[in-house]
Amino acid sequence: MSNQGKSKLTRRDFLRAMGLGLGAAAIGVAAKPLGNTPLNGNPSFEARRLTDPAGRPQRPWWVKTVDKPTIEIDWDMMKRYNEGYKAELGTGTVRGEGFKAYVGEEKDTELNAKSAAVLKDGILNNVPGYTLKDQALNGAQGSRVPMSFVGPQKAKTPEERGVPKWTGTPEEGSRFLRAAFRHMGAATVGFVELDENTKKLIYSFDPDGKELVFTDDPEPSETETTRFIPNTAKSVLVYTVQMSEETMKRSPTPLGQQTTGLAYKRHTVIQASMQEFLRGMGFMGMASSNINAFGIAPAFGVLAGLGEMSRLNRMITPEFGPMVRCFIILTDMPVAFDKPIDAGVMEFCKRCKKCAEACATGALSFDDDPTWEIRGPWNNPGHKAYFEDSTKCMTYWREVGTNCGICFSVCPFAKKDKAWIHEWVKATASAAPVMDGFMRSMDDAFGYGAQKDCEEWWTLDLPEYGTDSSGMIW
Amino acid sequence: MNDKYVIEIKKRSWVEWLLWAGWLVAEIAILQMAMASGAELEPRAAAIFWVTFFVLLIGGVIVWYMRRSK
Repeated sequence: MSNQGKSKLTRRDFLRAMGLGLGAAAIGVAAKPLGNTPLNGNPSFEARRLTDPAGRPQRPWWVKTVDKPTIEIDWDMMKRYNEGYKAELGTGTVRGEGFKAYVGEEKDTELNAKSAAVLKDGILNNVPGYTLKDQALNGAQGSRVPMSFVGPQKAKTPEERGVPKWTGTPEEGSRFLRAAFRHMGAATVGFVELDENTKKLIYSFDPDGKELVFTDDPEPSETETTRFIPNTAKSVLVYTVQMSEETMKRSPTPLGQQTTGLAYKRHTVIQASMQEFLRGMGFMGMASSNINAFGIAPAFGVLAGLGEMSRLNRMITPEFGPMVRCFIILTDMPVAFDKPIDAGVMEFCKRCKKCAEACATGALSFDDDPTWEIRGPWNNPGHKAYFEDSTKCMTYWREVGTNCGICFSVCPFAKKDKAWIHEWVKATASAAPVMDGFMRSMDDAFGYGAQKDCEEWWTLDLPEYGTDSSGMIW
Repeated sequence: MNDKYVIEIKKRSWVEWLLWAGWLVAEIAILQMAMASGAELEPRAAAIFWVTFFVLLIGGVIVWYMRRSK
């Protein structure tokens, strides 16, 4: 019997076909980021079904859940922080009146005049990042949804609908809340129990000077001087809002600043919406009455496993690096609490120091290890950290007429996560910290973190809010 | 007069095939990172990845050609 006319696949042909197939697949995969432009389909839509009962998303293997955060905390040493500066105590926030008290009234007046001059000069001389369009965009971020301690209070409660309030397991509650938060615009979500220790992360005074007092009253309330928080509220809902890494790379300018303003603005919408969602489910939702109020949100973020504390003395997330703002809402709705994480961020910070080197004023710490020693009365003791000199930082803000963000934009964790290399670098940082120094050098060599052209920004077709959630790795 | 030709066909060893597979995987990864770096608006990273990709590609082609003509 002859084999003539029958096609016979040789090993060589087979391997060649395999090679061609793999090559074609590679081009398809590699070309995906190019096809992912805003003009070509929806770049942000990458839905996954959450299989965890509490709705926790699947995170990569190198993000390990741990019992204690990667910074040491001494709860006995920690006190509730005063976010409204109190002259009689000589401690509290460096913002507002605090800055004036720390640097002196004369210096404050001088810096205010300098700030105004820099901004005006920027417009008159068309300084990139300071032009009229840049400052107009920055000014536009100032219009925000009104914030309040208990929310708008307009949504129908179950009582008003004539039905009982929601009941269910903490896991179900967590899942609903995560889905709602994400739908409203939150990047990541986690939950922390408010106990006698974590209560210390709620401010003693809000920025507007009102005292925050825990009470046995069944409902939250507010007077001219005080906000009362019921002790029945045990669940802290922590969420992040993304900032635009591409925009922040134009810092320090009003153009770079406005991505921070935009994140705060989006947060006001999310906060009010979630307070109303909680009300609709039959629960209370207490939160910031103004920007940077209510509690130390990044600390809650670390406890909720959203990220780790860092050399910036801010939270760095595995997903978006430092390019997030963190916020909290306190409720009596039962939820399943989350644990901190170890993704190798704090260990990386020990060797990297890129942010401290880039800081224009030397406000960030160059210490090899975090310390218990605070740098000034604006820091809150009770945890080991790379404490910053906030007065230097805020002085620079006034000198350049805008907030800064250089430390955020140079951070090696601040990436768009489209190129596979970023995932490999993060995984290596977590699994093999011995490589951290090498990877920091490579980060410089590849030009990551370089400041970008402000005028170019106005020619870019960026995704919504200048962020792209399709790069999410979980 | 000898009218016979001897044709010798050498089979490639599995080690060589493994090396070629490694080369292909490296090319795929570098190509992805070059294109994605462009999409990330990181010109220096993109340039480094593109150069690496083409150097590796040309190197591979040269090695393939030299071994083929042996």
